[in-house]
Amino acid sequence: MLVLSRHRDETIMIGDDIELTVVDIRGDKVRIGIKAPSNIPVHRKEVYEAIRRENEGAAEFNQDDLKEVKPPRIAGM
Amino acid sequence: MKVQTTRFGSVEVDASRIIEFPSGLLGFSSYTTYALLQPDDDGLFYWLQSTEAPELAFVVTDPSTWVPEYQANVRREQMEELELSDLDAAQTFVIVNKYDLALTVNLQGPIVVNLASRKAMQLVLVDKRWTTRHEIVRIASEQRVSA
Repeated sequence: MLVLSRHRDETIMIGDDIELTVVDIRGDKVRIGIKAPSNIPVHRKEVYEAIRRENEGAAEFNQDDLKEVKPPRIAGM
Repeated sequence: MKVQTTRFGSVEVDASRIIEFPSGLLGFSSYTTYALLQPDDDGLFYWLQSTEAPELAFVVTDPSTWVPEYQANVRREQMEELELSDLDAAQTFVIVNKYDLALTVNLQGPIVVNLASRKAMQLVLVDKRWTTRHEIVRIASEQRVSA
């Protein structure tokens, strides 16, 4: 992994149009500003991984598990 | 069009039920075209079936059926990517999973479909209220006996 040192308000360019800026540093927390084209999704990795894992699990869903599910009763319906 | 599926065999799907995910689903980015199948009459669950991989399919449901207060926030750039000008022209689905004896839905990673263009994307929400494993129904064994 490439490791670069940056001060507050300094930026890293990735390619021509992705910018990472160190916005704030407090204790062990760094706030990072990200400028990227809208077709580049940006996610916190742990959230991304959780949803990816959930998708992978859901792709193994057994259709028999739907058989006895009845519509929920919601007030007003 | 004809769609080959491992679960339902070969099915004929109307073009209006074909949905394009330009970025795919998280973890499945190489599959971008799905058919929305409705195998049951009750309309609770749909299958999002890949038209490219017969074995790849997800169960999805309308979150408002289960979690009336649920709201998926769509950011402006996501609206643009979906070619959406109005959220009323979109339908939100959530993916169903099973843990132990409960069915869960992934409220943190909803699927938003532009009903007109049938372009869709999976969002990643930051709202902490919505989890990836929100329980919607128990499928306990005693229910099965009485059912």
